[in-house]
This record gives sequence, structure tokens and C-alpha cells, in this order.
Amino acid sequence: MAELVRDAPRRQELDGTRRRLADRDGFLAWIFLVPTVVYIIVLVAIPFFLAIAFAFSDVTAGNPSYDWVGLENFSRVFDDPVFWQALRNTFVFTAISMVLIVVFGKVLAMVLVADFRGKWLVRFLVLLPWTTPVALSSITWLWLLHSIYSPIDWVLRNVGLIEDNSYFLGKPALAMGSVIAVHVWRLVPLAAVIMMVGILSIPDDLIEASRIDGAGFWRRLFEITIPLTFPLIAVAALFGAIFTFTDMAVVYVLTGGGPTNSTHVLASWSFVRGIGGGDIGQGAVIALFLFPLLLAAAILILRSVRKMETI
Amino acid sequence: MTFEIDPWTRRRFFQLAGLTGAGITLGACASEPESPGEKATGQAPSPVFKEPSTKLSGELSILLWSHFVPSHDTWFASFVKDWGKKVGVTVRVDHVDVANVPTQIASEIQAGQGHDIVQYIATLSEFEESVLDMADVNDETSNRHGEQLAICRESSYNPHTDKFYSFAPGWVPDPGNYRKSLWEPVGFADGPSTWDDLLQGASEIKKSKGTPVGLGMSQEIDSNMFGHALLWSYGASVQDEDENVVLDSPETMAAVEFVQKLFKNAMTDEVFSWTASSNNEGLIAGELSFIINSISAWRSSQETNPQIANDTFFVPALEGPQTALAAQHVMYNYAIPKHAKNPDAAKEFLLHFTDNFELVTYHSRLYDFPSWPSLAPKLGDWLADDPFGAKPADKLAFLGDVETAAEWSASIGHPGPSNPAIGEMLGTYVLPNMFARAARGMSPEQSVKRAHEECERIFGRWRKRGLIGGG
Repeated sequence: MAELVRDAPRRQELDGTRRRLADRDGFLAWIFLVPTVVYIIVLVAIPFFLAIAFAFSDVTAGNPSYDWVGLENFSRVFDDPVFWQALRNTFVFTAISMVLIVVFGKVLAMVLVADFRGKWLVRFLVLLPWTTPVALSSITWLWLLHSIYSPIDWVLRNVGLIEDNSYFLGKPALAMGSVIAVHVWRLVPLAAVIMMVGILSIPDDLIEASRIDGAGFWRRLFEITIPLTFPLIAVAALFGAIFTFTDMAVVYVLTGGGPTNSTHVLASWSFVRGIGGGDIGQGAVIALFLFPLLLAAAILILRSVRKMETI
Repeated sequence: MTFEIDPWTRRRFFQLAGLTGAGITLGACASEPESPGEKATGQAPSPVFKEPSTKLSGELSILLWSHFVPSHDTWFASFVKDWGKKVGVTVRVDHVDVANVPTQIASEIQAGQGHDIVQYIATLSEFEESVLDMADVNDETSNRHGEQLAICRESSYNPHTDKFYSFAPGWVPDPGNYRKSLWEPVGFADGPSTWDDLLQGASEIKKSKGTPVGLGMSQEIDSNMFGHALLWSYGASVQDEDENVVLDSPETMAAVEFVQKLFKNAMTDEVFSWTASSNNEGLIAGELSFIINSISAWRSSQETNPQIANDTFFVPALEGPQTALAAQHVMYNYAIPKHAKNPDAAKEFLLHFTDNFELVTYHSRLYDFPSWPSLAPKLGDWLADDPFGAKPADKLAFLGDVETAAEWSASIGHPGPSNPAIGEMLGTYVLPNMFARAARGMSPEQSVKRAHEECERIFGRWRKRGLIGGG
């Protein structure tokens, strides 16, 4: 009992210290930031610096010992025509996907904010492609585009649009189109949700006033909705670009980079070179090319968003 | 107190739906056609056991592919468990899809930790610097069972460094699978025996029935095997005996020109997008007239499409202008990484596993062949009278026995060894792409030149590391 009495002031002191810590914004900010910082250091920063180190080494899949080789890996990568093809494909896939993601995302967002029965079910279903793991959804698409069992081919054949199967993944143009279609399919829901938030934040009275002033749907869209939601459209575009630019699962599962390496992107070619071929040094060089391009894209889009906000 | 039960409450609906689902599942299981394994007419061999040379303990972990014949993996699980009990070792087996095995091994080597034994179905030569020399296991097996087949030795031994970077206890031949009902009407009742027969018959079948040939030119392992077989039969190869790149040759050009003709007359664009199982799927679906594969596609069709199974027959390697050689379909390579915690148990297990290879052959339904011919004395009888329901029962008799099949088979890298450069070439699909480029319209000269340059780059790098000869 005496001990309890003696401990009471100490406990009060401790509680006070705790309260003071809980009241300190700076301390709390650090506590909340730590998991993110650790995550970024462990899963982004360390692999990134490791990739830089590997790019100047002769490390292979079978031998992790480090020997400096200077710019030899860079020279080998630049001599390889598949690298340039992969670089070109990465830009083409990203640019086309980004445009389609923004356009379809906007359309979908407009649909999702409208009032209709079963809206919540539709919203839930629309989000499914985004919530499904990319490898899983790519395998589903692999079957949808299968050379023998494709149900898409079956429908097209039965409505008389084609005679033979399309071989979606066996022809370079169709294979590239298929990869872009899957990227758009899985990223449109995300873009739509982001843009939906923007549309919902537009004050109702503004829309109402424009209606009273006689503005039609298209005028309201181009002169009110799009300008006011542009920062969020840019964020959706940024996400779409980054997810497409860095993704290797769709290409790897659907085409494996084929036919004849015509659908490889930087991420998939880096994997094939580094792991499939065992040349980690070259794989690292190819992967590093993602960084400056992503950085430039991110800075560009974020700056334009900030500019829009200050106007 | 009484309860009024409404038969259509939500709870009741879900209960009924659940029961119906369970019933359908059980019914489906009960009515599932009996697999050929269950109808096996032969007597499975008895396991043999030899006491390990040293006292073993601890744990042993094994990384394996998921076998194309699932009954093998079921048997392997109990086989491993029994051995572990006898020698006092706890064994863990992890199966990985074949396409992901190299990635898994590479990540374990980089991390410096992982399984004690890693296995893959093609060469593991690119991991030579990080694995133990298996010469002792190889020598001991040869002491017990005689001489190893050259094809298996070449796939696990680097003559330049004098190191067995892996242990190859078994392999799988790669014959041609053809549909008799399609080939008989075009004058090849026994299937094609030369590449020219293939071109002639397959073109006629495609024209008359619309059914194409299924030889992959894609980023997958079967496409690699087809490419090598064709090159060798035309007298070409990627490297010579001394590990110099010799791909750019008139013989290679002729092989590429042949593929151009074959593609134009008897194939479709689907072959550029295939995965390793696509030719199996096509054969089972009755959509292909000829594929180069092991017997696994046919075994699967015995269960899923018996009509196709009964119509599928086999031919050995097709003859080209120079010879008739097929690549191994599968070459089992077992390696023990330097980071392995229990290398003694790993080596003892591999010896025990090899001693019992006749069981492996039986439980893989004659898919796996041993590297030491003496290890499957009953194989010839089984092939002549298939214990797993072949119709006719002697369908596999053309394989003869282990040595007969090895006569028309070669290891990847032939006439040189399966060195790390060959491993990288396989992993980056240089040959399938060479054939595919030409099939899609590039001139054979240009396509071969590009493939040759790629090989030179790959070989040059490994030569610099001192792991291959030539230069």
C-alpha cells in the first residue's frame, strides 16, 4: 500500500510527460511519418542505390561478388536494338494509355456522380479492376485473348466480323494494342474515383447558376468542370503514367515481350536481361532509365498542378 | 415456445446454396474420370535404401518445379518423407511453377540463403560460381550404376573449369506428337519422318482441314528446344565443340529459310505468343496437327480428351539434310548452392533419389528417363506395353529404352557443353526470336546476323569471366 502511495506522484509525472509528448505536433508528425520513411528507405531508396551500384558492376544472377566494370554495361545496353525498342514502347504505351485513362476516367466519373438506382453497386463493380492484383487480372486477360479459347474471338466469329481467330498476342500491332487495353482497363477506375472527388467538390450553386444562365452540358464541361477539376485530372494522369511506365506484369504475363521482343518495355526487358539472362549489371542499367524519365514526368505534372492552384 | 421457420429467409437461402454447392462439388469429384494412374496395370517398383555414409541430422529444404505429371509430385512428397524418417532429417519440399524457378534461384543466390537443393529442368550453368562441385555425387552414382549418358553429363559439367555445377539424374526425350487421323489422309500414316515430310504433310493438312502445325517461336522453353533441333538437323549449331560461336553459317540460313516456308504454308501467328503449355493446350483441343513435345500433352489428353489421346502418335527426331537430332525436352539439374546449410544431407538425398530412379520413371508415367541406363531395367517393357492405358498399348515402343532415345537426342549447347553462355541464350530466347523475325518477314541473312551478334556479345562476356572456352 505504501509503495502504491509512493508511486502515485511518479505515475502522475509519467502521465504528464506522455501528455506533453502527445500534445507536441512535431513529435507526433515524426511518429506518423516513421513507417512511411522506413518503407521508402527499405523498399525504394536501398534498391535504387543498389541498382546504381550494380549498373557499374559485373554482378550476375549466379555470382553476387562485386567487380567494378565502369561504363561497360551501359555500352552493351546501348548496342542492343531491343533496348531502344523497349524504350520506345515504354513511351508509346504510357502516352496512349495516359490519354485514354484520362478520357475514359472522366467519362466514368461523370457517370458515377449521376443519380441512379444501384449507384453504389455500380461504383463497387467499377472499382474491381483496380483492386484486383495486376498479375491475376493479366492472367484473366491472357485467357480472354487466348489464341484458341478466346471468348472475344468467339463472339466476333459468331457475329460474322472475323473468320479465323485474331491471334491478339501473336501479331505485334494487336499485341501492343492488347497491352494498352489492359493498362487502360485496370487504371480507368482509379482515375475515375480521383476525378469523381473533384467533380463532387464543385459547389452546386455554381453549376445551378450556369444552368440558369443557359449553359449546356458541353459548355459546363469545358468551362466549369474541367478547369475546376484540372489539378485532380493531372493527378489521375500522373498516376496513370507512373503505373503504366513502371509496370512489367502486364507485358510479362500477356506477351512475354513477344512477338520477337516487339512489346518489351524497360521494366520487362530489364527483368529478362537481369534475371532470365542472369546479367544483373545490364538489367540494372536498363532499369535505371526509368528513373530520370519518371522524375521529369512527376516534376512536370506537379508543377503544372501547382501553377493551376495559384491562378 | 415455438419458432415459425420461414423457408425463404436469407440465412436459409445461403444454407441451401452452400449445401447444393458442396453436393455438386462432391458429385463432380465422384464422377471425375479415373486417371490412367489409378488404372495402372504394371507393378510399381519397390524402393531401395542404402545407409548414408555419414550420420545425418537437421533440416533439408528442396526447391522443385511443379512436375507436368502431377502424380509424380504426390509420390515425391511421401518418398522424401520416408527417407527423412529413416535418416533423421526433416525435409521440406517447395514446388514452384517452372517459369519462376530461375527467378527463385537467382534471388536465393543473391540473398545468400535459401534451399539446400535447387532443381530446374534446363541447364543451371549460369549459377556455376555459386554452387558446390557435384563431382563426388556424380562419381559415386557412376560407381553404383555404371556409365552416365553423355547427353546428361554434358548438361551438368563444365569442361573449361572441370566442375560439375549440377547433378543430372534424369531427362526427358522430345519426340514429335502427331494426329494420325490428319496425317493418314495426306499420305503419312506413320507421321512425318523428315523435316521435308513435315512441310509437305502439314501444308496439305492446313490447306485441306485448316489445322496448323504447332512449333513455337516465342519467349518460352519449348521454342528453344524446337529451334535447336532444327538447327542441328540442318548441320548448324550455336557453338562448336570449342565453344566458339558459329551460328552465322549457310546451314543456319537454310534452316531459317525452311521455317519461313513452314510458317507460310502450315502455321499461324499464334506461335509467336505462346507460353510453355500452349502447344499442349492446342494438341489437347484438337487444334494442332503436329507438335514437338514430351509425352505430357498426350498423357493429359488421356484424361481430358481421350479421343485426341487415342489419335495422337509419336515420331522420333525428324531428319534434316545432315542428321536427325532433337533437344532434350527436360534435363533435370540439381544444384547445391554454396549457402546450403545441410550439404551432406543434400548429397545423400540425391544419391538415394537416383538409386530409386525407376520409381521416378514409373510415377511420372514414363515421362522421366534416368541418366544412368541401368537404373530403369523395366523401362523397355513398360514402353512396349504401357501400364497407364495407352491405346494401343505399344504406342511408346518407338522410344525403345533409355539408350535408344538418347541416340536421337542431344543436350542444349551441342556439340559443345551447356555452358553459362548457352544458359543466357536460352533465357533471352535468341533462337526463337531469330526464327520468328524471319517468319515475320525479315531476310534470313539479317535475322541470322543479328542472332549471331547477340550470341557473340553473350559469349564474350562469359569468356571474359573465365567460364567458357573458345575465342
